Amino acid sequence: MSERGHYARQMFAFTDDHGWKLLAVLAFVGVVLPFVGLEEGIDMTILVELFLFAILALSWDLIGGQTGYPSFGQMAFFGVGAFTTAILVKDVGVAFPVAFAVAGLLTMLTAGVVGAATLRLRGGYFAIATLGVLLSAQQITRNLEITGGASGKILLDVPSDTVFYWTFLGLLIAEIAVVYYLQSTRFGYVLNAIRDDEGKLTAMGVNTTYYKTAAWMISALFTGLAGGSYSLFNTFVDPNVGYNLAWNVEMIAMALLGGSGTVAGPVLGAFGLHFAVVKIETWFTGWQLVVLGAVVIVTVIAFPQGIVGELRERASSMEYYKHGGQAASESPGGDDGGTDTDANGEHATDGGESL
Amino acid sequence: MAFAQFVVNGLLVGALFAAVAVGFALIWGVVDIINLAHGEMVMLGGYASYWTITLVNGSPTASPGLALASVPVAVAVLFVVGYALQRFVVSHVIGTDLFLTLLVTFGLSILIQQLGLQAFSADPRTISVQFAEQSLDIAGLVVPKVKLIAFVGAVALTIALFAFMKRTRTGRAIRAVSQNDEAAALVGIDVEHVRAVTFGLSSAIAGGAGAFVAMILNIQPQMGLIYTLKSFVIVVFGGIGSVPGALVGGLLLGTVEELTAGFVSSKWTLAVSFTLLIVLLVVKPQGLFGEGMGGEAE
Amino acid sequence: MSQPTQQRTESDSDVVLETQGVTKTFGGLTAVDDVDLAVEAGEIVGLIGPNGAGKSTLFNCITGTLTPDDGEIVLHGTTVTGKPEYEIAREGLGRMFQHTRVYGEMTVMRNMLVSAKRDGGIGSVLRRPSEEAREQATELLQYVGLWGLRDVRAGRMSFGQQKLLEFAMALMAEPDVLLMDEPAGGINPSMLNKLIEYIRSANTDREVTIFLIEHNMDFVMEVADRIYVLAHGEKIAEGPPAEIQENDRVLDAYLGRE
Repeated sequence: MSERGHYARQMFAFTDDHGWKLLAVLAFVGVVLPFVGLEEGIDMTILVELFLFAILALSWDLIGGQTGYPSFGQMAFFGVGAFTTAILVKDVGVAFPVAFAVAGLLTMLTAGVVGAATLRLRGGYFAIATLGVLLSAQQITRNLEITGGASGKILLDVPSDTVFYWTFLGLLIAEIAVVYYLQSTRFGYVLNAIRDDEGKLTAMGVNTTYYKTAAWMISALFTGLAGGSYSLFNTFVDPNVGYNLAWNVEMIAMALLGGSGTVAGPVLGAFGLHFAVVKIETWFTGWQLVVLGAVVIVTVIAFPQGIVGELRERASSMEYYKHGGQAASESPGGDDGGTDTDANGEHATDGGESL
Repeated sequence: MAFAQFVVNGLLVGALFAAVAVGFALIWGVVDIINLAHGEMVMLGGYASYWTITLVNGSPTASPGLALASVPVAVAVLFVVGYALQRFVVSHVIGTDLFLTLLVTFGLSILIQQLGLQAFSADPRTISVQFAEQSLDIAGLVVPKVKLIAFVGAVALTIALFAFMKRTRTGRAIRAVSQNDEAAALVGIDVEHVRAVTFGLSSAIAGGAGAFVAMILNIQPQMGLIYTLKSFVIVVFGGIGSVPGALVGGLLLGTVEELTAGFVSSKWTLAVSFTLLIVLLVVKPQGLFGEGMGGEAE
Repeated sequence: MSQPTQQRTESDSDVVLETQGVTKTFGGLTAVDDVDLAVEAGEIVGLIGPNGAGKSTLFNCITGTLTPDDGEIVLHGTTVTGKPEYEIAREGLGRMFQHTRVYGEMTVMRNMLVSAKRDGGIGSVLRRPSEEAREQATELLQYVGLWGLRDVRAGRMSFGQQKLLEFAMALMAEPDVLLMDEPAGGINPSMLNKLIEYIRSANTDREVTIFLIEHNMDFVMEVADRIYVLAHGEKIAEGPPAEIQENDRVLDAYLGRE
C-alpha cells in the first residue's frame, strides 16, 4: 500500500505541476487527428461522442463533485440548449454560431432561475428537486408546439461533422481549462468547502449563495452549449433525446468512476465508460441501458471514491504517515485517529448540533 | 358539478399515491435511504398482479374477487424483491455518502425499468375488472366501482402497515432501528435483517398499490420515476414518518392532478404537481430543514 | 433574577459584544430567557451552566444562526440582530463548533487558505491565494504544530489535530471576538495545558477577545477572566472565577437543588 501510495503521490505531484502541459498535449492530439487521416464517419462520430460525454461529466462534476450539489437534472440544460439551436436554425433560419451563443445565454438564464429555487435545498431534497426539474422540462417540451411536441424536430440543413468535431473539441478544452484554473483559485477552494461543510463556511463569513449559483451557471453553460451543438450534430431532437434521463445517470457514473472532485477523473471516466458503452452497444444491442444500470451499481459499490479518488486517498494517507501521522502534532485525540469525516458523508448532513 | 366530480376522482386516486408515498417515507425514515427505485416497485407490483390474473384466466380480465386476490400476490412478490435489494445491493452503501445511495437506487431504477422493457415490452397494459354495473351514482356523482375498491384497498394497505409498525414485535424493532441503530444492535436486534424487512415492507406496499394502479389506470415499464417523484412531493408535504401527513398529502396531490387534468389537460399534471413542490419548498423551508436532510440544522 | 449590571455595560466603551434581553423559545420551551451580558475587548469570558441551560442556543443567537425572538445582539456598538450569519461573521465574529468542523476532503493548507479574511475586491476571488495569505497560514500552522501535515486531507487527521486546525482556521480569519463552544471537550487531558496556552496567546498576542462555553470547570476557572452562568435559560450569576465558585445559586443549579 505504501508503495502504491508513493506512485500515486508522484503522479499527483506531476499532474498538479504539469496540468497545463497535459492539457496542451490533449489539445494537440485532438487538433492533429483530422489531419492524419481521421475522416467523417463512424470514427469521428465516436470521438465527438467521447468529447461530448467528457464535457457533460466535467460539467456535472463542477456542481456535483466539486460543490457537493448532486444534480440529477443536469440534462434539463442540455435540452434547453438542444431545442434552442434546433428552433433557431430550422425555424428562424439563424446561422449556427449565433444560435450556439443564444443557446448558451439561455441555459445560463434558465440555470439562474432554477438555481434560485433549488440551490437552497441540500442533499436528497436537491437531488430530487433537480430530477423534478428535468421531468417537468421534458413534459413541458412535449406539450409545446414550438419544440415540435412529442415527435421533435428533424434537422437536415446542418454543418458538417467536421464542424462539430472542432466545436466539441473546443468546448472540452475550454471547459477543462476553466475548471482547472478555478480549482486553484479562492473560488475553487470555496466550492470544495461548500461541499465539505457549508454551514461552517457560512459561519466563517462567506455568502455561499453567490458561489454555488456561479458554479451552477458555469456548469449549465457548458451543458447547454453541448446540447446546442448535439441536436444539430445528431440531425434530430425530441424530448427523449434532449432530456435523456439515462445520460444524466451516465454522466454522474462517469464522474464518479473517474473520481469526482478532480479534473482528470471525470474526463478519463467519460472516455472509459463511453468506450465501454460503444462496445456494449455492438455486443448487446438493445441491452445497453441494462448494462449501464448494472455498471453504475457495481461502480458505486466497488469504487465509492472513483479510481482517481482512490489514488488520491492513498496519496493522502501516504503523506499522513510519512509525517508521523498522529505523532506529528503530539495531540492524541479522544479516539486514535478514527475520526475520518467521510464515514458519514458530508454531502448531505452537517452535524446537527443541539439547539 | 364538474368540479365536485374531479375532486372525487382525485380523492379516489390520491389514496393510491398516499400508499405509495407511505412506503417511500418508511424507507427514508428508517434506513435513511431515498429510494429512487421506489416507483419501479409500483410498476413491478402492477405486473405481478397483471400476470397472476392472466395466468389464472388466460386474459387480463378479472372478476372483482380475482382482482382482489391478486393484490396479496403482488404484495408478497414485492416484499421478497425489496428484501433482496436491501440485502444484496443497498446494504453496501448504507452509512456512506447520501449521494452514493441516491446513485445506487437510481442505477436500480434504470436497471429494473430496462429489464421491464425487455420482458414486458413498452405497451401500456391494464387489468380490466368486470362488474355488472361499472359505476355507482351517488348524488349525481359517478363513482366507478373499481376506483372505489382501489381507494378502500389503498387505505387498507396503509392502515395495515401502520398497525404492523405499532403492534408487532418486528414493527417495534423497526422503530428501534430508526431511532438508534447502534443501541438497537446492542439489545440484540439483527439490524441488517430489520433494515431488509423494512425495505421489503416499503416495496410491498408500493407493489400492492401498483396492483390497484393496474386496475384503474395502466402500467408501463417506464412509469416508475413519476411515482417516485409523486411520493417525494407527498412526503415533503406530509413530513417524513407521518402516516396521516402522507394520507392528506396523497389525497391533495390526487385532487390537484385531477383538477388539472379536468380543467386544463392531463398533459400538464406533472408540471403542475412539480410546481406545487417548488412552492412548498419555498414556503416551508423550515419544516424541511428540521427533518435533518435539508442541511444546516445548527 | 439577574444582578444589576446595566450601568457597567452602558458606561463602558470597551464592550465589543453585548446581548440585551435576548430571548429564544422553541415551541413552548424558553431556551434563552432575557439574557444580558457584555464582553469587553481583550477579555477571556466563560459561559457555563448545566446541560440544557441554553448556552449553545445563546451562541447561535449571537452568531445569527438563530434569530432571537426578543432582544438585541450588539457587536462593536452596532446592532446586528437579524442580519445573516455570514455578515455577522464578517464584522469580526469568529466561531468554533462544539463538534469540530473542518473541510474534511480538503488538505490542511487549503482549509487554512479558504478561511483567510477576504482582502481585495471581487477580483481576488478569481485569483490564487495571495502570498501574504500563504505566509500567514504557514505561520499559524507552525504555531499549532500542523505544518508537517499541510498536504494531508483534513478529515484523515485525529480529532485533536482537527481541533487544532479549526483553531488555526479561526485565527486565520482574524476575528475580533472568537466564540468557542467547548474547546476542551474531547481533548486528551494531557493536552489541556497546551490548549490554555494557545487560547491565552491568541488573546494577548493576537488581541482576540474570547468568549467560550465550557463544561470542564478546572479548565474554565483557569483560563477565564470572568464567567457568566446560565441555568434554564436565565443568567443566574456573573463574576470572576473565584466568586463563581463560592456562589450558592451556581452550586444549586449544578447540583439540581433549585
